[in-house]
Amino acid sequence: MNELFKEHIFSVSDLTERLKEVLEGLFRNITVEGELFDFRPASSGHWYFQLHDKEASIQGVMFKSKSWQVPFIPKDGDRVTVTGSVSVYAKRGNYQIICETMKLSGEGDLLALLEARKREFANLGYFDSERKRPLPPYPKKIGVITSPTGAAVRDILQVLKRRNPTIDVVVLPAAVQGVGAAEEIAAQIERANRLKIGDLLIVGRGGGSLEDLMPFSEKVVIEAIIASELVVVSAVGHEIDWALSDYAADLRAPTPSAAAELVAPLLDDILATYRGKIEIMGHLLSRRIDKVKGQMSLFTKERMGEFFRRKLEQAHLRSDDNRREIERTLAEKLRLAKTKRQSLLSQLEVLSPLSVLKRGYSIVTTKEGGAIVSHSDQLSVGQGITLKFAQGGAEALIEEIKDEESE
Amino acid sequence: MSYEKDIERMEEITQKLKSDETPLKEAIALFEEGVTLAKRVEKELNEVERKVEILLKDDEESLVPFDDELD
Repeated sequence: MNELFKEHIFSVSDLTERLKEVLEGLFRNITVEGELFDFRPASSGHWYFQLHDKEASIQGVMFKSKSWQVPFIPKDGDRVTVTGSVSVYAKRGNYQIICETMKLSGEGDLLALLEARKREFANLGYFDSERKRPLPPYPKKIGVITSPTGAAVRDILQVLKRRNPTIDVVVLPAAVQGVGAAEEIAAQIERANRLKIGDLLIVGRGGGSLEDLMPFSEKVVIEAIIASELVVVSAVGHEIDWALSDYAADLRAPTPSAAAELVAPLLDDILATYRGKIEIMGHLLSRRIDKVKGQMSLFTKERMGEFFRRKLEQAHLRSDDNRREIERTLAEKLRLAKTKRQSLLSQLEVLSPLSVLKRGYSIVTTKEGGAIVSHSDQLSVGQGITLKFAQGGAEALIEEIKDEESE
Repeated sequence: MSYEKDIERMEEITQKLKSDETPLKEAIALFEEGVTLAKRVEKELNEVERKVEILLKDDEESLVPFDDELD
């Protein structure tokens, strides 16, 4: 018993007032860790709850002005660390802690761990942008590694069905949180590759606490993603959530639904691509045809008639020219020939024996045989000869033969 | 059927149609090929129903249908 208050009788109010002064004065801006329990969010936005551990519990309040800044929705069983001040509620004689901030316990440690791991993997080159492969543009079959009962698989299937109901899906079931989840996920990535289960893999889960998402940051999962021959899309949690698988994968999708959006081209787009290409081809072909028609139009019946008429005319002209030329040449040749003949004739006349006879010479031939007599020894006395004069002739007999000397 | 190959072929055809060196007769045949291809793909795509399966955990090969109508 405190000596100071030995003789003093407190009123309830006085005592409560003193307690309030002491507690509120002493336990200001403190940090408390405990497990959430009896969490009651009020419609006003204020949160009422208990924090407890094995031995004790304390009431907690977080007013709307602070609660909206808490980046997660608390639930019973969460280990949390709160900051705030103790407050005594005099009327009820109880005390509580008015909280300013609340975060999940161990999150700081987890974040530090993740940062360290992230650096390690980055140094190994696991996150290098050169490693990233493009998505296959037209996947036919997609492997999905996630919990078969979670929201993620339903979201993915729904989006894929809406976008492109021709894409087949194989679900490779894996636990996505808790002990052993990382190993299961890694094993399914390896199995998907071994069985070549599809054109690409979506690895993911729905939203959760940092701790819930941890399997997707474990070394076995990261290494399985790095080793995967199939393109991997990481789809972990909500937009604000992240895991190291996001960095290791070929593509990070903000949510499982978004992953499905990213990997599946719209069926209508594919059809439109085909139709568009056919349209282009059609245009090109009709242009070609038009061009050929244009070229063909030069060859209409009328134009061809005209063309050939002109050709014919030219041919006629040329043939006329040729004929004239030939006639002219022939005439010239004829003229030359005539001249030559005339001169030959005159020469012939000079040389002709008849012209010699005209000058008084006669031709003597033997009567028998008709040989021309040019030597007296061809003759004998009494032989008949024939004389040919320029005009007429005569038959005669040889009376006497004279040799050359005697002449 | 492979869209990549189809589309590659269609690009090829388009290039040939652009070129004046392709004889018109060949160009018409190429265009017909493209149309046939697009028709076939459209028909196939409209007929294909997706398969959704789950790979049994303890079995290397067993794919069984997975109910994708969960809501």
